[in-house]
Amino acid sequence: MNSPLFGIALSALLAGVAFAKEYTIAVIPKGTTHEFWKSIHAGAAKAEQELNSKGIKTKIFWKGPLREDDRDQQIQVVENFTSRKMSGIVLAPLDSRALVQPVKSAVQAGVPVLVIDSDLNSDKHLSFIATDNYKGGFMAGEQMVKLLGGKGNVILLRYQVGSASTEARENGFLDAIKKHPAIKLISSDQYAGATRETGYQASQNVLNRFGNQVDGIFCPCEPPTVAMAKALRDIGKAGGKVKMIGFDSGSASVLDLKNGDLQALVVQDPVKMGYLGVMTMAEHLQGKKVEKRIDTGVVLVTRENMEQPEMKELINPPLKKYLKE
Amino acid sequence: MIPRLRLTDIRKSFGATQALRGVRLEVQPGQVHALIGENGAGKSTLMKVLSGAHASDSGLIELDGLPFVPKNPLHSHRAGIAMIYQELNLAPHLSVEENILLAEPPHRFGWIQRSVRRDRARQALAELHAETIPLESSVQSLTIAQQQLVEIARALLGQPKVLIMDEPTSSLTRVDTENLFRVIERLKHRGVSVVYISHFLEECQRICDHYTVLRDGETVDDGPMKSANLRHIIQRMVGRDVNELYPRIPHAIGDPVLSVTGLRGVSKPSSVTFNLRRGEILGVAGLIGAGRTETLRALFGLDPVEDGSVSLNGRVSTKTNPRERLRQGVGLLSENRKEEGLLLNRSIADNLLMTRLGPLTRWGVVSHRLVRQASAEWMSAMEVRAQGPAQAIGELSGGNQQKVALGRLLYHDAQVLLLDEPTRGIDVGSKASIYRRIGQAAESGKSVIFVSSYLPELLGVCDTIAVMCRGALTTVKSASEWTEHGIIAAAIGQGDIDTDANAEPVGQVVGEAPPAGTQSNGLETN
Amino acid sequence: MSVVRNGTAGSETTARARRFLNAAGPFLGLLLVLLLLSLNSESREFIFTGANFKIVLIQTVIVGIGALGMTLIIVSGGIDLSVGSVVAFTSVLGARLLVADVNPALAVAGVILAGGAIGLINGAVIAGLRMMPFIVTLGMMGIIRGAAKWLSNKQTVSAPENSPVNAIMARLNPTEFLPLPAGVWIAVGLGIVMAFMMNRTVFGRHIFAIGSNEATARLCGIRVPLTKLWIYGLAGLFFGLSGLMQLSRLTQGDPSVAIGLELDIIAAVVIGGASLSGGTGSILGAMIGALIMAILRNGTNQMGWETYVQEIIIGGVIVLAVGLDKLRQSRSARV
Repeated sequence: MNSPLFGIALSALLAGVAFAKEYTIAVIPKGTTHEFWKSIHAGAAKAEQELNSKGIKTKIFWKGPLREDDRDQQIQVVENFTSRKMSGIVLAPLDSRALVQPVKSAVQAGVPVLVIDSDLNSDKHLSFIATDNYKGGFMAGEQMVKLLGGKGNVILLRYQVGSASTEARENGFLDAIKKHPAIKLISSDQYAGATRETGYQASQNVLNRFGNQVDGIFCPCEPPTVAMAKALRDIGKAGGKVKMIGFDSGSASVLDLKNGDLQALVVQDPVKMGYLGVMTMAEHLQGKKVEKRIDTGVVLVTRENMEQPEMKELINPPLKKYLKE
Repeated sequence: MIPRLRLTDIRKSFGATQALRGVRLEVQPGQVHALIGENGAGKSTLMKVLSGAHASDSGLIELDGLPFVPKNPLHSHRAGIAMIYQELNLAPHLSVEENILLAEPPHRFGWIQRSVRRDRARQALAELHAETIPLESSVQSLTIAQQQLVEIARALLGQPKVLIMDEPTSSLTRVDTENLFRVIERLKHRGVSVVYISHFLEECQRICDHYTVLRDGETVDDGPMKSANLRHIIQRMVGRDVNELYPRIPHAIGDPVLSVTGLRGVSKPSSVTFNLRRGEILGVAGLIGAGRTETLRALFGLDPVEDGSVSLNGRVSTKTNPRERLRQGVGLLSENRKEEGLLLNRSIADNLLMTRLGPLTRWGVVSHRLVRQASAEWMSAMEVRAQGPAQAIGELSGGNQQKVALGRLLYHDAQVLLLDEPTRGIDVGSKASIYRRIGQAAESGKSVIFVSSYLPELLGVCDTIAVMCRGALTTVKSASEWTEHGIIAAAIGQGDIDTDANAEPVGQVVGEAPPAGTQSNGLETN
Repeated sequence: MSVVRNGTAGSETTARARRFLNAAGPFLGLLLVLLLLSLNSESREFIFTGANFKIVLIQTVIVGIGALGMTLIIVSGGIDLSVGSVVAFTSVLGARLLVADVNPALAVAGVILAGGAIGLINGAVIAGLRMMPFIVTLGMMGIIRGAAKWLSNKQTVSAPENSPVNAIMARLNPTEFLPLPAGVWIAVGLGIVMAFMMNRTVFGRHIFAIGSNEATARLCGIRVPLTKLWIYGLAGLFFGLSGLMQLSRLTQGDPSVAIGLELDIIAAVVIGGASLSGGTGSILGAMIGALIMAILRNGTNQMGWETYVQEIIIGGVIVLAVGLDKLRQSRSARV
């Protein structure tokens, strides 16, 4: 066990040098395969470019867990970046509880952590930058009531257990429709799981059971939205026969919206989230005080308003501009 | 006439062992040629040289008058030398049709042409008058004889010049054997030369035109079959000085230790009765499949006993398991070293000591020092040649492996040793060493059952010899009362009629074909 | 790896050197990985620190303890695919017990024993019905995963905030190598005990014998079915302990955690020199194998490489490690 001791000495020598050079900011998403996270990545890259052009040398490290729902892997990534002595970590925690301990350790080790997208049961992080998910879900619920004319059978396909952001949307949606006694919730206990494939299977199963009774469906994030629209098409109930509202924009769900398979999409602004995450971290590192809670806003996009320029920017973020892909 | 196949002075050594030391063989076109020899005479090695699996060290092979050096089995096959091994080479789950055209199925653009394949397979079987074999059924559902025909059909598709058959009748019934002879007859008329390797001299005499006798890797005799005298051939086959090999260690025989009455297993044995006495070496002879191995396995508790009784030192203990038998001081040496007898990738020490680790432990912990002592002691007692007790046993020669396997029983201090083919596939030096160990065991009051297919060693080592025939242990007599011929007669079930050594015909030599050439222990080091 | 060390000199020296190389193989692999990582001057200063090695060790604990059990099974010629599910199940069970206010010591015992019980079931089916371990444990993988979801009511179950179980894997003083959490010490301690057990007890030698050749083991009077039952049961205890570590690390029981963990564990055991056909393998090697994988993950992480690069590298290392092992064996066989 010589090398660790040697390592400690070495790191002590080099640590100071590394800090002075530039801000190294790790941005840790829940996963890397969905377009939502690519938008966050784009926002973070945008912030990086802006900071560098202002003469504040910044480098972001973009790194997600191997599997989208693997909490242990995300913990490992946080731990590894902690010992990498990052200037700061911007984290979208997979779990409001499991990530508490590693965030605490990071802050103890002198690496500030900023949380985006989903909240963490902790007071150690600098700031929480996210969509007001409850509000988004509530908006979806109100729109659903409007679409159904105040009565009908509704399904909520949940995303995943332990994911705070989608749970808030689900709760917002449920609270909104609760006010209308003629709206009946016929299924709200099924989970889509992390991938489109698991979401597709869950959608098929739910529709198999309730396909003939359902009038409206809400899915709280991208993978189940895409999967459910596909499952609806399979049984010929798409195109407005069953009113469907999704959450988050991806190229597939935008197309579904255009084709009328989706009636509305609640869209957040992930680019802004990524951008503000890095910018706020940079401000903190420069010694400025930052807000504890920053809302990035939600918008309801429908087929009618989707061609407006500001909507276009939201549902089709200019990823290429910031990510060299 | 230019001979179809001519071998001149073929030599081949594996390490220090000379497997072939001057083989001569000349086969004419359309001739059926018997290749006769004892286990370990070099027949298998010779086949491997011809098939290209081994390169000969020196000598000349000529095919139709032209020198031929087989590089590998495919090369040899393409040149027109086809082999039918004793262990058939078929894909058991595939159909007859697929098996016949396995190597080169007819195809167009990579798609198999099933109809063409079917026609060709049907044609190939028709040439053997074996149209009754269904083309679609999987090979594993056929009888052994049918499988053999499928393999011959496959071999004939390559238009071979020479077909070499190793013990083709060893597992066939009488009717199937007759059928095979008709097939060979037809091949002969098509001009195919057949080299027929067999222990069954009577068969050779019936269907072969010519014979060559191998002994200790050397051609010692050849001639036309018609005028040959079988007794003469046998003498040429065996012809070695037996006394040197089998040291007689005087030992006293005492009271019965193991009494077996009417022992019956699931399919074999059908009925076994004998007494084994303290200090006695009891040989058991018989044909393959007579139930000798099964008897030992049932006695040791590896196979279930259906009926009969076994008593050890006067106490009945019929139903048992290997663990209990070892506790009672009974040990078994498996006939199959590689698949059952040894832990091939473990060390010599592990293999020697595995059954009795208890005395080598202190407080439940195996002591390196005691293991080292015990294994060194037993390796030298058994004359095991190896780098050290930690060497993996798979790296040793067959003879040394077998010494370790026997050493395990002796280390265990088993009082009754059940030895199944203890000298199979090992060199002469190791054989002599194992005979000595067996003699010494008897001298120290242990009792031995010695199963072997090699009659000279049974006659040379044992006090008494029993013969098994079709699952029954029939005749037990003192070794001095037996002759080779008498044993053979008893083994083929004619013991009562024909125990006279001089009676004709001397039909068969009891024995098994060696699994991989008994002299080739150099091969067994991996 | 062998029972004996050679006393006498002479021709044994080369054999001894070869065996040393065989045993040292995984260790050399570890050094090689460290050497490669140290080539990059940018990451060197981050990777070779006490704090970072502490992280690597913590990240190795779950796979490492699982590898202790898996080594027993693989050396005996078997395989267990249900480990990931067992870890998830036992982590949920532990969380539920703690939530139900069961004494933490009893909860810990319950978690470990539950793992052992599942192992005993695996062993009983494999030995009793003579079924292929691959099939039996593949089935068990699904059964236990489902049971975990049922037991957790399909959600993560959070352990109480200040349960002592949470402290087993907690990383105190993150800037220093010491103190290491209890989980690391437990893994190291058990590793030593198991290495001793495998090499120096009759039970351990019997495991090698069964894996090397089951027929021979039977011939040598070893009670093969009974021994197998114990092997799977004992291994199950380790898998339960892995589940406890997982619970402590997440501070919650998660029914969907550790999917595919069994493959990481098998890879660690194989990198450590075990053969899937049984009869060879070592505890030390498996632990080093687990360490190699954690270091690779940690290193590629810190260099800021993409996740897919990391997956490719680890996959390559597995094939390379086993390939080199085969090469070494064929060399020695030719002597």
